[in-house]
Amino acid sequence: MNQAAAIKPALPDSLSLVALTVAGLLCLPLAYVTYMALTADAAIWSRLWTTRIPELLFNTTALALGVAAGTLLLGVSLAWLVARRDFPGQPLWEWALVLPLTIPSYVLAYIYSHLLGASGPIESAWQILAGPDSHLPSPHSYAGAALVMTLNTFPFVYLLARAAFLNLNVSYEEVARACGVSRAGTLFRVTLPLMRPAIVAGLSLVVLYVVSDFGAVSLLRYQTLTYAVYQQITGRYDPTAASILSLLLVIVALIFLITERWFRQQSRFFQTTGRYRARARRQCSPLGALFASVYTIGVFAASFGVPALLLVQWSVSAVSSGAVDARFFGFVWNSAFLSGLAATCAVLIGLPLAYLASRRPSRLNLLCLQAAYAGYVLPGPVGALALLVIFSHLAPFWYGTAAVLVIAYVVHFLPAGLQSMEPALQQVTPNLEEASRSLGFGTAATLRRVTLPLVRSGFIAAWVLMFLQSMKELPATLLLRPVGFDTLAVRVWLEASEEYYQLAAPSALLIVIMTIPAILLLISKDWRAA
Amino acid sequence: MFHSEPMPSIEHSRRPGNPQHDQHRPTVLELRNVSCIYGMDRPAITDISFAALEGEIICLLGPSGCGKTTTLRAIAGFEPVTGGEIHLEGRLVSAPGHLIPTEQRRIGMVFQEYALFPHLRVQDNVAFGLQKLSTDERATQVRLMLEMVGLTDLAARYPHELSGGQQQRVALARALVQKPAVLLLDEPFSNLDPDMAGKMREDLHDLLRRTKTTAILVTHDHDEAFAMADRIAVLNNGRLEQLDTPEAIYHTPSTPFVADFVGQADFIPGTIERGKVVTEIGEFPHQPDYRGGATVVVMIRPDDVHIALLAQSTTHILARQFHGSENLYTIGLPSGRVVHSSEPSTTVYPVGTPVELQVNATHTVLFEQHLRT
Repeated sequence: MNQAAAIKPALPDSLSLVALTVAGLLCLPLAYVTYMALTADAAIWSRLWTTRIPELLFNTTALALGVAAGTLLLGVSLAWLVARRDFPGQPLWEWALVLPLTIPSYVLAYIYSHLLGASGPIESAWQILAGPDSHLPSPHSYAGAALVMTLNTFPFVYLLARAAFLNLNVSYEEVARACGVSRAGTLFRVTLPLMRPAIVAGLSLVVLYVVSDFGAVSLLRYQTLTYAVYQQITGRYDPTAASILSLLLVIVALIFLITERWFRQQSRFFQTTGRYRARARRQCSPLGALFASVYTIGVFAASFGVPALLLVQWSVSAVSSGAVDARFFGFVWNSAFLSGLAATCAVLIGLPLAYLASRRPSRLNLLCLQAAYAGYVLPGPVGALALLVIFSHLAPFWYGTAAVLVIAYVVHFLPAGLQSMEPALQQVTPNLEEASRSLGFGTAATLRRVTLPLVRSGFIAAWVLMFLQSMKELPATLLLRPVGFDTLAVRVWLEASEEYYQLAAPSALLIVIMTIPAILLLISKDWRAA
Repeated sequence: MFHSEPMPSIEHSRRPGNPQHDQHRPTVLELRNVSCIYGMDRPAITDISFAALEGEIICLLGPSGCGKTTTLRAIAGFEPVTGGEIHLEGRLVSAPGHLIPTEQRRIGMVFQEYALFPHLRVQDNVAFGLQKLSTDERATQVRLMLEMVGLTDLAARYPHELSGGQQQRVALARALVQKPAVLLLDEPFSNLDPDMAGKMREDLHDLLRRTKTTAILVTHDHDEAFAMADRIAVLNNGRLEQLDTPEAIYHTPSTPFVADFVGQADFIPGTIERGKVVTEIGEFPHQPDYRGGATVVVMIRPDDVHIALLAQSTTHILARQFHGSENLYTIGLPSGRVVHSSEPSTTVYPVGTPVELQVNATHTVLFEQHLRT
């Protein structure tokens, strides 16, 4: 037992035991999927290798790389514009370009199926110009999926690149200019290379998101690993084949994750040092301001403005045709109940893990925390598949209850929650607690009077984040929900699959509206400071 | 050596013993009535004029917020000027509405925190601005430059693998390899510990002399300015208070601010009587531009004041600070004023000892009474 534990004799062993158990349970789905895949009949492996796997791997990687390229271009260029140039509306756009994050991928996908679909508004407009027989490429394709995912995820890159542009010590650029290098040369030889870690971090978020996305690719009928796993479970009920595909998916995600980690190791010395001076924004020329405005407004309209307007318009007509009825409010309740329960459970489960890792960072406790992050590389359908199989084998009477769904949410979203719980706990130094102990308060009183008040905001943020993620969650909900227990996300997907765009709109709009304040809250933490 | 007040001495004073100083050298940099006035948040400068001859080292000295860094950044072209003109190598580079971009000015810049590109090795940092040269030529130049600053062995290191002093030498090499018309240094020693800073000061001075580089150095440390500069420009509140050799700045400051900023000084009030300046610590020679009966203050430095034991004196020692090479005594006068005296390290008197003052009058400087408030 280490020294810290010796000072605080009250909690230790039972807490470690809890953490170990929780970590074990959190790892179980991933372990089980791996086990199923590795013990599968070789015939199933070879059948999949010769039929589905090459295509699925290619599609998944191609989509990830295409979206990465698109978000790199959009995210970095927009971040540069709002961070370095002054043009009309710049403060507004700087803020508004985060809003696409509030639209779930499946909502954006169904809106673009409508916009770009056969005889949709854009094709109709095109036919006026090019004649009635000309057609646009279908959105149900690589291009469609790449477009939707790019518009949906570029804010990840934008946010991190913007912060990097604002945080970069201006001396680096000034010294480059003093060396006789032009403004453009400085951007490409100094500024962008120094921003590489931020850009790579943003891209890795994008890639993980794309690789594990189910909603958009399923509505756009683009065959990726995630979609295939889902089809193997629902269409063919072939859990073994599904687990093989799942294992591949996990490996693909891991490769991207490890690449990012490796890259971050390589460039860990890239911090800016010394005194920091912010860089003044340069005034645009009138032509430049026009270009900047058109570009920014265009991206904003395509990724948020037009979709949001369409959702409002459809919702209004859906409401007037009586679609928002008692059944609709039932879905709202189902969503809120499930997500609230999942978020609460996740905070309670995450607390011992985060506490032990930050207070008693023994190898075992850190390992427990790492294990909890396993859910990261476990895309929704994969986690659902594992729980589905585990429960149907071990506890069939639980199968088909809301409890399984709550467990799926916790496994999947706990990593996101831990990311804001961990720093919250770390900022409470042991000295504060020791001061309280020295003033005569016991462990429990110290927890209540000192620790909890200090970590409250971080935990609330974690709860809100996990609540919203659970509410938007689609594939696990589709696979594990009790019969007839639909959530808002499921309704959106079901109606949109049948192309009942108006019926899907109120649920989608509600999700977007609930997400907006949370996104703004999350980014406001380091917005101006950045 | 008496100095009339408050005219700043504008003629180029020669620095004794500096063989490089001759009048045939061309002017490299000239500021004519330069003003930079922006918002309330940035230090402004008003009506700054000076010129730097080829190979000359000029220090811009002043407290923080005095505008010395703004002046440097205006020369570099990072800040547009709102008034006046800056000429570099005979070319107008800055004027209101006219700004030659930094990269076309042939300047070198060394920042306080060095700003070495962390993604480039030492040799690539030094080669950064040489992209117009051929690969061979570039390698040769970089090698020669690294030899000159003694960093040949570290050419393949990354900046984070270097000590502070080594980083500074890389920053210098990167600037000097451009053969800049003028080298701008912004507080280059403030990130080094004092011992290292002293060593680097000598090395830098030597390097600048060897490469005959014209340099403008910004600092808030008068010792650094004295050690480095051919001439010092003291700035205060955005204005140039005095431009002169280090010796003249120290001994004949033109304003009370300069007197106080470049070293310890006491200001003793007096009146002009019978062609003398009469004060409570004695009489000093009179300066012609003050009328009889005028009230003035006399600036006295501790090294001009000596003390001698005198049992019946009403002047006595209030405190002693041991500084290693000297003892700095605080002396209480009968009027309640204090003056300071610098005595040798071994001259130790206890506090309370009655003493008399012996003031060396050759370095006396007078200011009008109202200037010292």
